[in-house]
Amino acid sequence: MDLLRRFTLGEISAFETLVRQFQGDIYAWIVRIVRDPGIAEDLTVETLWRIYRARQQFRPDGNFAPWARRIATNLALDHLRRKSPEHSLLADPAGPPPHDPLLQQETWEKIRHAFRRLPAKLQAAATLALIEERPYDEIADALGTSVGAVSLRVFRAVRILRKQLKDIGVRP
Amino acid sequence: MTEHDDRQIREALQQSFPPVDTELRRDLWPAVLRKLDARPVRVPWYDWALIGLSAGVFLFFPQLILVFAYHL
Repeated sequence: MDLLRRFTLGEISAFETLVRQFQGDIYAWIVRIVRDPGIAEDLTVETLWRIYRARQQFRPDGNFAPWARRIATNLALDHLRRKSPEHSLLADPAGPPPHDPLLQQETWEKIRHAFRRLPAKLQAAATLALIEERPYDEIADALGTSVGAVSLRVFRAVRILRKQLKDIGVRP
Repeated sequence: MTEHDDRQIREALQQSFPPVDTELRRDLWPAVLRKLDARPVRVPWYDWALIGLSAGVFLFFPQLILVFAYHL
């Protein structure tokens, strides 16, 4: 009997083989979204646990990696939803782009902060598309949506981000 | 929004969020196994509801126990 079929039947050694084979990919995907190695490890363990729990929903003739990635993405999105910025952005008068390294750091911090205020779905799409530069079809598959919807989310994320940055006087 | 604007915001984001190390540094199987052991399978609420309903029916119509037993 093949590995995936044994996994759907709940055979723990088959699941262990799958974990060893895919844990790196799942972790890499999650850490790209949440950008924190410790949290990404915890979410990877949670993802693998959920995969085992949902094993009967998986068709043995299906493709394991995209299914696992979708579960991982949902958990990463839940994490982004729970995590909200602790401080609000402080308004600053608009000025020229800073050249001082300290000012530059401050600008980046404000950009990070504004980015984390985006809705989770927009944040994830923009992270994967703009920061990680992943292909749109790969992002769409992981988010369980179409390439068009991903493009729209990225567009909306950029528009909101640009407005937020303008409001606080930051010019990227 | 122009292509220039898009590139500008992309660059700003890439500078603000430095690349993350995507390599997993340890085997997570022991942690997964611990989690599997720690969480016994929970009986869903609708199973409890069904058990309660069945118990109620058998209490008021005990003759149905025989019908039920016959179909087991």
